[in-house]
Amino acid sequence: MPKGTVIIDKERCKGCGLCLLFCPQDVLGYSTEHNLSSYNFVCMKAPERCTGCALCAQTCPDIAIEVYRQKKTQEGD
Amino acid sequence: MAEAAIRGGCRAYFGYPITPQNELLEYMSAHMSKAGGVFIQAESEVAAINMCYGAAAAGVRTMTSSSSPGISLKLEGISYLAGADLPCVVVNVVRGGPGLGNIAPAQGDYFQATKGGGHGDYRMIVLGPATIPESVELVMLAFELADKYRGPVMVLADGMLGQMMEPVVLPDPVDPATLPAKTWALTGARGREPNIVTSFYLDPGELSAVDVKRQGRYRQIEEREVRYEEYQTADATVIIAAYGSVARIARTVIKMARSDGIKLGLLRPITLWPFPYAPLRALADRVDAILTVEMNAGQMLEDVRLAVAERTETPFYGELGGLVPSPRDILREVKRYAR
Repeated sequence: MPKGTVIIDKERCKGCGLCLLFCPQDVLGYSTEHNLSSYNFVCMKAPERCTGCALCAQTCPDIAIEVYRQKKTQEGD
Repeated sequence: MAEAAIRGGCRAYFGYPITPQNELLEYMSAHMSKAGGVFIQAESEVAAINMCYGAAAAGVRTMTSSSSPGISLKLEGISYLAGADLPCVVVNVVRGGPGLGNIAPAQGDYFQATKGGGHGDYRMIVLGPATIPESVELVMLAFELADKYRGPVMVLADGMLGQMMEPVVLPDPVDPATLPAKTWALTGARGREPNIVTSFYLDPGELSAVDVKRQGRYRQIEEREVRYEEYQTADATVIIAAYGSVARIARTVIKMARSDGIKLGLLRPITLWPFPYAPLRALADRVDAILTVEMNAGQMLEDVRLAVAERTETPFYGELGGLVPSPRDILREVKRYAR
């Protein structure tokens, strides 16, 4: 189970790629689809590597990214 | 840019959606009526520019905006605005071309903007912002210049500026009621002789007189309104000539080059017409090369070469199709000419 996951609002994304540059785990990539404004938006290419660090969301100029983290489980669970 | 237009006294905006300038239209749809102005999403680009013609003839500060393919459609209207001596601001958020091209940033409309585009012997002031604060400043200036010289003025941005966010300090708004009265405008002829706004003069002598007068204003513009920025040119041996977004990238290149011991500077035209020929010529006499960098196949390059007139080398580096040149690639080109 990956530690985090991101949800990208594809209609807000203009495909600038800043999040791709900032992601330390190389999780994100461009989708093969386009949004209603014809932008090639970003999606998770390697979701299993996401740590939920949220650098992508912090760098996104269009507030298009939401990040969710797995709750820490207690030892032995 | 939309807020700057409203603050610049624009009270009539007509547009038609096209990426990457939809945000401008959207903002206008939400805010123009609050400012007591008119917002109309026209049925086409052609309709929008002709609505501008109407509003301008009525003496209202008016604006339209579009992106490359849409501007091509507006060119007929721009020529008519120029022919009828009507002030209007046109924003072009340039995208990849020709044809539909794509929606990525480009500078392929330089020729179209600065050399005419529409038919007839007209000129248009063209302002090329490089940042969002400067876009605000230049949109407001565009309204002043359009009124002052009575003609269309273009703000030539690109897809990168169109989609960028940057903090800005918004200037105080201009109250349209305080602007000088436009005695030529069609405001109702009660108690005065009727005004006529037209670009149609069947008698060649009459048209020639109107044209000569207009050309006189163009010469005034060339004398008074040239704007440009020099950055680290004092000791430079190589100069980058670039405008808009590319000039921002050039600043990064200058920082990199100077840490490598290369004395690199930047000349950034702010007015693309009137073009800063004289400052470039002055630099040409004392540098080894002027490298023009654009997001096209070399359009402003022709003006640079006209200014330099073989006084120094004038190489070119460009990216096409909506690609943005990287600082590393530009630096590699610079190093070929740095001694």
